[in-house]
Amino acid sequence: MATRKKVLLKVIILGDSSVGKTSLMNQYINKKFTNQYKATIGADFLTKEVMVDDRIVTLQIWDTAGQERFQSLGVAFYRGADCCVLVFDVASPGSFKSLDGWRDEFLIQASPSNPDHFPFVVLGNKADLENRTVSTKRAQQWCQNKNGLPYFETSAKEATNVDQAFITIARNALAQDTDVELYNDFPEQIKLSGSTENRSSGSDNCAC
Amino acid sequence: MSYSSRIFQSPEYVSFRCNVPLKQIVLDETGTNKGWRVYDTGPRSVETPLVFLHPVSGRAEVFFKQLLTLSSKGYRVISAENPPYWSVTEWCEGFMQLLDHMDIKQVHLFGASLGGFLAQKFVEFSTIVHQPRVISLFLCNSFTDTSIFKYKDAAVLFWILPAMVLRKMVLSNFASRETFYDTQIMDSIDFMVELIESLSQADLASRLTINCLNSRVNKSLMRGLKSVTLMDVFDDYALGSPIKENIYKEYPDAKLAQLKSGGNFPYLSRSDEVNLHLQIHLRKFNGTPYSANDNIPITE
Ligand SMILES: Nc1nc2c(ncn2[C@@H]2O[C@H](COP(=O)(O)OP(=O)(O)OP(=O)(O)O)[C@@H](O)[C@H]2O)c(=O)[nH]1
Ligand SMILES: [Mg+2]
Repeated sequence: MATRKKVLLKVIILGDSSVGKTSLMNQYINKKFTNQYKATIGADFLTKEVMVDDRIVTLQIWDTAGQERFQSLGVAFYRGADCCVLVFDVASPGSFKSLDGWRDEFLIQASPSNPDHFPFVVLGNKADLENRTVSTKRAQQWCQNKNGLPYFETSAKEATNVDQAFITIARNALAQDTDVELYNDFPEQIKLSGSTENRSSGSDNCAC
Repeated sequence: MSYSSRIFQSPEYVSFRCNVPLKQIVLDETGTNKGWRVYDTGPRSVETPLVFLHPVSGRAEVFFKQLLTLSSKGYRVISAENPPYWSVTEWCEGFMQLLDHMDIKQVHLFGASLGGFLAQKFVEFSTIVHQPRVISLFLCNSFTDTSIFKYKDAAVLFWILPAMVLRKMVLSNFASRETFYDTQIMDSIDFMVELIESLSQADLASRLTINCLNSRVNKSLMRGLKSVTLMDVFDDYALGSPIKENIYKEYPDAKLAQLKSGGNFPYLSRSDEVNLHLQIHLRKFNGTPYSANDNIPITE
């Protein structure tokens, strides 16, 4: 199809404070890393256009605050999420234990139509550290028990596996988004594909 | 007239109309103009509020959901509806007078479609005639050039057309409500349609004239802007994608607040998402001299 609907994919990053959520997003989008820690307040997002299997999609990546006192997000924030990224710090067992809580929180707030198959991707960050305390095996085990979630060990600092992780995130988000289109009987989708062409060329409409 | 649409009857809207006074601010001495219609909410102590500018079809009321939510979070938010002005310059002069009258030196501007175009022209205008007065722009489904509209040649005749014809022109650009299987979008369209009925011939004719007379934004004339957010909706809406691409090109550093769906009037149909984006847009100014919020900043 030449005039496929443009896709916006919403990705939400969750995890304990200082596991490296902001750093991962910055590494992925701006190719930058800083050792300075500045706690995120509330939420913020960045956008990036990427190719996923010959389709151009817009990723809208939401970074959140791990510290509870900075959280004031509300459901609007979770609405329409296509993928949720759960991050822990491989040198912090506490942050690994929190994954269950973050996953539940997401499922409650976003209430996706198919919670058992909602695409989560798990990232064990700071893999560059020498003093890691959460073993790969333990993390993989956890992901296995959750219907086999994809797991990556990343380093935002050294940019290891960051792009690879986000490619999987984008691909799984797109698959989720397409599922929603297929199973929601919104005839809107059908109408749109027919009219995209004249909408984009006929720029003669009025700004109502 | 009686309003029957769901939004008009909603407790939220009723509460807005009961609690927020509408101010009519007449600026020209001759008294021929009926004046600006203004809702001013949130703490008056804030010197750099966020001002909302409506689209062709809208009235000051279309932003009631933003006013309610943001004012409750400590932001000073104002919705301003202009009396008939027949050119961009006249509008800019009028808006400048309004700000002077309200004793507002600097503003953040939210503009929806035509409102967004005028907001950008005002950045230029205030830069040229005065000192820059606009701190930030939040543009929703907006554009940088009126030549995208087909009525250029007819624009000089709008003033003579009856209200009914003008209303039809505006309405013909609304995607029909039945194309959206989404009650919130349908409700937003119903609300706008009812509001259009309440606009006078002069309101409609003057707005359409400004909307369609050739004019474009000249970014090189803008000074003082500290941040720009561009909001658009990925579903069907009245402006096609080349227009979006143009405005993206014009503001390469802008933050892109894109919504998956929402129709023509996301501030009504997706108000909580729009309000979230507005808070993200304004938050970076909190605790600075440009803050639209009176809250004590969260210390880190
Ligand atoms: N060694 C190492 N340090 C990292 C890595 N990623 C992040 N950091 C550091 O960890 C600290 C916290 O990183 P952030 O990205 O701010 O953490 P966050 O998850 O966004 O934290 P909150 O915003 O409070 O939720 C910073 O000092 C980063 O420099 C990594 O891959 N390796
Ligand atoms: Mg952070």
